[in-house]
Amino acid sequence: MSKRKVKDVHRPIGECITQVQQILRERFCHQQLPDRPEGLEAQYKHLLELLRRSAIQGESNSVLIVGPRGAGKTMLLQCVLRDLLQEKEAQKNLLQVHLNGLLQTDDRIALKEITRQLNLENVVGDKVFVSVQTEYYEQILENKTAEKSPGDRSSSRPVLFVLDEFDLFAHHKNQTLLYNLFDVSQSAQTPVAVVGVTCRLDVLELLEKRVKSRFSHRQIHLLSSFGFSEYLQTVRTQLSLPDDFTDRGFAQDWNSSIQTLCEDKSVEEALQRHFNSSKDFRSLHMLLMLCLSRVSVSKPSIKPADLLDASRLCLCDAKANMLHGLSILELCLIIAMKHLNDVYEGEPFNLQMVHNEFKKFLQRKSNSMYNFEQPVVMKAFEHLQQLELIRPVDGSSAKTQREFQLMRLMLDHSQIMEALQKYPQCPTDVKQWAMSAFG
Amino acid sequence: MIDSVCSLCVSSLVISVEGLPRPTIIIPEQHILIEGDDEDNPYVAKVIRLFGDGDGEQMKAVVQWFVRVSEVPLSKLKLLGREPHPQEIFHYQGRICDDEVNVKHLDSATPFPNSDDKDTMYVKLSWDSKAFRVVDSALVESACEPASPSSQLPHAVSGVETESLHSATKLSASKCLSTKRRNLATRTPGVCKKLELHSKLLLVAATLRSSQRKSALFAVCLIRNLLDNQQDLNSDGEDEDEFVPSQKELNGCSEEDEDDGEEEAGLDSEEEILVKKGRGTTAVFRTPRSKQKTHSLTRTPRKNPNKKIMPGTPRTPHQATPSIPCRSLPTRQPANILEEARARLHVSSVPESLPCREQEFQDIYSFVESKIIDGTGGCMYISGVPGTGKTATVHEVMRCLQHAADVDEIPTFHFIEINGMKMTDPHQAYVQILQNLTGQKATPDHAAALLDKRFNNPAPRKQTTVLLVDELDLLWTRKQNVMYNLFDWPTQRHARLVVLTIANTMDLPERIMINRVASRLGLTRMSFQPYSFKQLQQIIMSRLNKVKAFEEDALQLVSRKVAALSGDARRCLDICRRATEICEHSTTNPSATGLVGMSHVMEALNEMFSSAYITAIKCASMQEQLFLRAVIAEFRRLGLEEATFQQVFVQHQALCRLEGLQPISVSEGLAVCQRLGACRLLLLEPSRLGVLQRVRLNVSQDDVLYALKAD
Repeated sequence: MSKRKVKDVHRPIGECITQVQQILRERFCHQQLPDRPEGLEAQYKHLLELLRRSAIQGESNSVLIVGPRGAGKTMLLQCVLRDLLQEKEAQKNLLQVHLNGLLQTDDRIALKEITRQLNLENVVGDKVFVSVQTEYYEQILENKTAEKSPGDRSSSRPVLFVLDEFDLFAHHKNQTLLYNLFDVSQSAQTPVAVVGVTCRLDVLELLEKRVKSRFSHRQIHLLSSFGFSEYLQTVRTQLSLPDDFTDRGFAQDWNSSIQTLCEDKSVEEALQRHFNSSKDFRSLHMLLMLCLSRVSVSKPSIKPADLLDASRLCLCDAKANMLHGLSILELCLIIAMKHLNDVYEGEPFNLQMVHNEFKKFLQRKSNSMYNFEQPVVMKAFEHLQQLELIRPVDGSSAKTQREFQLMRLMLDHSQIMEALQKYPQCPTDVKQWAMSAFG
Repeated sequence: MIDSVCSLCVSSLVISVEGLPRPTIIIPEQHILIEGDDEDNPYVAKVIRLFGDGDGEQMKAVVQWFVRVSEVPLSKLKLLGREPHPQEIFHYQGRICDDEVNVKHLDSATPFPNSDDKDTMYVKLSWDSKAFRVVDSALVESACEPASPSSQLPHAVSGVETESLHSATKLSASKCLSTKRRNLATRTPGVCKKLELHSKLLLVAATLRSSQRKSALFAVCLIRNLLDNQQDLNSDGEDEDEFVPSQKELNGCSEEDEDDGEEEAGLDSEEEILVKKGRGTTAVFRTPRSKQKTHSLTRTPRKNPNKKIMPGTPRTPHQATPSIPCRSLPTRQPANILEEARARLHVSSVPESLPCREQEFQDIYSFVESKIIDGTGGCMYISGVPGTGKTATVHEVMRCLQHAADVDEIPTFHFIEINGMKMTDPHQAYVQILQNLTGQKATPDHAAALLDKRFNNPAPRKQTTVLLVDELDLLWTRKQNVMYNLFDWPTQRHARLVVLTIANTMDLPERIMINRVASRLGLTRMSFQPYSFKQLQQIIMSRLNKVKAFEEDALQLVSRKVAALSGDARRCLDICRRATEICEHSTTNPSATGLVGMSHVMEALNEMFSSAYITAIKCASMQEQLFLRAVIAEFRRLGLEEATFQQVFVQHQALCRLEGLQPISVSEGLAVCQRLGACRLLLLEPSRLGVLQRVRLNVSQDDVLYALKAD
């Protein structure tokens, strides 16, 4: 590796690095589809068969893809669609409508979007307008599902509805959209395939009984049931360069360095920790992205240290990091709150109590700290509230004076102690006060 | 080509056949098959008496007709209340058919199509084109009373008149084969009546067939007449080739059902009529369809009130709205038996008839029919859990009524359908009704006013309107004025409006309607019970319609399972469809018969009914599993089913140490908790509460422990 670096001119290496960055970023950030979904062959086959029948035989179907976040639901669906559309017969027939529960928050918006995606808007231009005004809901639906003429099933093009975040559609009023989609899928009208994507396992319980009865109850569960060795394998393949990389020699070097990286004990440990924490591929991509960003011309490979650093960055505590940026006074207030929590077993407190606690500390133990004015303490208190390290108790009215408003601490003791360890130039007596059992 | 003309006597008719050693004798009280337009289903009749018209050429017979299942109109078949046996026939008591038949012979060379199992016909009920009645067994059995005037056959009397009343009759195909076969066949026991016939009967009177019912059949008759004329004495057996069995599918039924039915009815072999030709094989006459093609010179043609369902319902033409473009490639047809079964099992494939809802069908039918005929109005409330065939039955009723109206049996009417779920606002109902009635568009208020005017004022030549309101509960408004109007209009004198409403709950009128609305809805209510497992099985069987794709046990399992859970027919069909898919993919092992078996059905059932929670917990990451254990530990400690994240997290840290894992930070713990919350394994408060948010389990503690233990 290093030999090659010495021998070669810098220019090609720079180009290679740029290419590596491009290829891997595509994978990590743009969710580039793999050639075939690993470990999901059965689900892939099921879904592909189903959609193919809809496209080619004009059969109406409905299916839900359920799985935790980052398990590859959308990836599976996209893979299936990509492969389905390679078939000429399917490509010519299938119309697609993609909806997202986070975007189409009510049925009217969803209908407009459907009309737009089916290219019906110019023809129904005036009708869309009408529908907005007087809610000719049915009419648009009829347009969407074409006319109910006999023999329609074989003549009109099948429509694929992909409902991302399916559970949110269930919160629409009366679930009208879902009822109509499923009703069409169960009647001899235009063939439709309704594919819902959701991460809620209890999604069927959200459906109203009429809607539920019309849904075919097909569910494809994507539960990441792989073990650590598969996880490691995925890391390796995700980082490896493809065979058709322009510079063969560089690709080989890179791949062998990845191989050694994955065999490193400390790396394996860090990955194991990630694996234990979550099997989500997105968080893995985040980790690998952090590693990748450290690759440069001068350091053209990922070293174990990079990965460990990235891992530490991923796993560190956000709130504890925030504590590092507080002033000593704010930190002291936090410690005082911690003691109050200990004494009163988590009962809420107000500014006055915290200030008293702080004053007690000053009187008894402090030799480096001195008292602050009430307004200064108040200001610090408000700053903590802005940072959401403390929050007012629900239902406490804003009418009460600010000094007496009841608050709760949003930090865990472990976070405070961890922050104190790393706090730059923390006075010893403050540290001791924090550690002592009682204020 | 007449080999011999039957001897003239009133007691028997002797017909001799070419190629047959002996003449065959027909005597009264024997059952004969008479050739009709449908080659496979010759008409069945019993000879009551025979007479000649003095001329040695012509013979006449007075017969009692029996009706095959396929000849009974579909809409009336409902009345039977069960699946008819393919070999079942009904004693015909209609008033519209002539019962004189000229028994003549004609030559026919085509092979006899019947197989042995079709030899026997069964009769249990009589049919008078309106209703089924249990037939008097004496009537069928009466052995030696030729044309008893006291019987229910008024025409028997007229038949004795010497007028040349005759109907054209032709003998069926293929007597030769059957006559050959009869030599081989053994004689059946004496209870069975046999009928000796000859394949050489000649059609003499090239007849005018006046009482036609169906124009298609009429055409058929004309063709036949022509042929008969042409080939008067020649062999004209080839003309049968043009006729295709039309309603053959209707005969489908399992043997089992028939057995059951017979046991219930307490029938025994006495009531079986064994129609024999020669010794043991069926004689197949070709006759004009009993009720249509009979020919009468003196009688005026009669209108036949029977109904027939046209394939494809007339639908209201829709306006030219933009629609999805047509597909560029045609759909592919099902290639194998499993695909065929799957297509048939799709909920959308409308079956020819709806089994197991005959009683409901009849009730709704007669309700609407009587209202239409009387020109009055009324309301009916239909309830039932989803998937029990409410809407389908009403649509079926409407199809039948529509057809009845098409053949002028009942006054024409207007059918409108609205669905509460397909409207954004209950007041849109007015707009849709008005648009369906008149094509006008109006705002809801204006539409309501127009409809009010229309229904409250008398108008000449007003049609009855049948309005189907699906998902009634969604038309609920605070003042309930939509419902009030819908139920108030039928009570108006000039409205002529029949309102059929459908909803899921039985007590909807009591629960959500105020008194004046509930009172107008009236008490005509019907509730659709969830299907029992037998009914579900029957539904699948009738859908499959002899496509043999399922093992018997597998079907029973599905129907029992679904019946135990919901009785939802849609669910049942979906499971069967999924099972065919599983079967198709698992055909790798050659041991399978290609049929959908128990294992496939079990797999489909598991896929659809088993909850994924346990697998989800098993597949969760280590920290997620630990967190669940921490939740349970904290619940046990608190004795409550709820804890804050902070409390759980303390337990979690302890568990981590116990398991030898590095304790995780709070943010990581929160992320784990959020992931579990997204799957709804945990129920969480909004995440902005951070460590203070409360955590609750969405699964039972036992399930969690079970899933984690098995790990």
